[in-house]
Order: sequence, then structure tokens, then C-alpha cells
Amino acid sequence: MAELQKFVDLTVEIITSDGRVIVGLLKGFDQTINVILSNCHERVYSENEGVEKMSLGLYIIRGDNIVLIGELDQERDASINLSEIRAAPINDITRR
Amino acid sequence: MLPLSLLNTAQGHPMLVELKNGETFNGHLVNCDNWMNLTLREVIQTSPEGNRFWRLPECYIRGNTIKYLRVPDEIIEMVKEDAFRQRQASSGGSRGRGARGNTGRGREGNARGRSGGGGRGGKF
Repeated sequence: MAELQKFVDLTVEIITSDGRVIVGLLKGFDQTINVILSNCHERVYSENEGVEKMSLGLYIIRGDNIVLIGELDQERDASINLSEIRAAPINDITRR
Repeated sequence: MLPLSLLNTAQGHPMLVELKNGETFNGHLVNCDNWMNLTLREVIQTSPEGNRFWRLPECYIRGNTIKYLRVPDEIIEMVKEDAFRQRQASSGGSRGRGARGNTGRGREGNARGRSGGGGRGGKF
């Protein structure tokens, strides 16, 4: 729990159980890992096109759906040309 | 900052709610509680496929069915103002009461004296 505190006011990448990848500034969280992400965008990965960035704004993501929260190394991230990245999207684990 | 305080501050503002089943609800937040249960007004419901729409005058959403909420950007600044105002009202409240207590007591005393006097005069 307190581990997440280290990420507050840093850019994080969140993977949700429906397979979305959301990047934004972590502004807060609570006991159930509900999370506030400001200025966030979704990265839509695809095998035949570059990564599409979709601007989302201010989000509250409910903890139930969060699979992973990781700090994003912004320098490293800036050095990656996302439009050249080809990757399969992550599976949605909520439906069969 | 707590997600639920942000949600509280967002009361009266438009928002988009996506449920775990993919349905979305667009409307104005009327009320919310500590379980993230919500009531929305003037709602547009969208099917998970995004091809069907319904208009609802009002709806209640159980918190645990929510995937995420999209709220207007400016709400995050309003949370800080809300928190500041609340801090002033609560901690400043006891101090304020104390401070006002002195002057207030004087006024209260006067008032009591006057009304009490009048009352007594009336009674006896």
C-alpha cells in the first residue's frame, strides 16, 4: 500500500483487466487501489500499425479492474518511437 | 488525494462512467457515497458495442460495477479548494468558535439579558 505512495505525482502506466494500457500522472489512491490519473492517455497496441495514443484527461479507475501499476521512466519512454512499435494488444481477462 | 474526495467534488458536474460490462453512462453527477454508488441525471446510456443509446432522466449505479470514471479536468483543482475550505471550517471551527465565543458570549449575554429580562418581566 505505502509502496504506491512512491508513485504519487509520477507518470505511471496502468494495465487494466480488460487489457487497456493507460499512462498518466498518479494523483492519488485509496485502500482499494482506486486511483486518480490526471492528464492520461490510452496506448492502443496493434500488430499491423503503430501505437495509437488516445487522450483521456482526468480518470478515476476503480481498483477492481487494475492489474498492474508501474512507474514510467519518462526519459526512456520519450526515446521510444511509438509509431514504430508493433505489438499484439493485451487480452481482456474479464470475458471468455 | 483520495479518489472518493475527487468524486465528491465532482458533484453537479458532467461525467462519463464505464461499467465493467462495457456500458457507458454520460450524465451529471447528483450524488455519490463511500462505496462509489452514484446517481446521475440527464443520462445517455451506451451499449458495450457503442451502437445503441438510451436516454434516462435519472439513474443509480452500484459502485462495484464501475470500471472507471472520466471527470472534467478542472475538478482536480477544485478538490484542493474544497479541502482547504473544509480544513478551515473544521480546525478553524473550534478556534473560530473560541474566538467568536468571547465576542459571541458578550452578544449572547446581552441578548439573554434582554430576552431573559423581558421573559421574566412577562412571567412575573
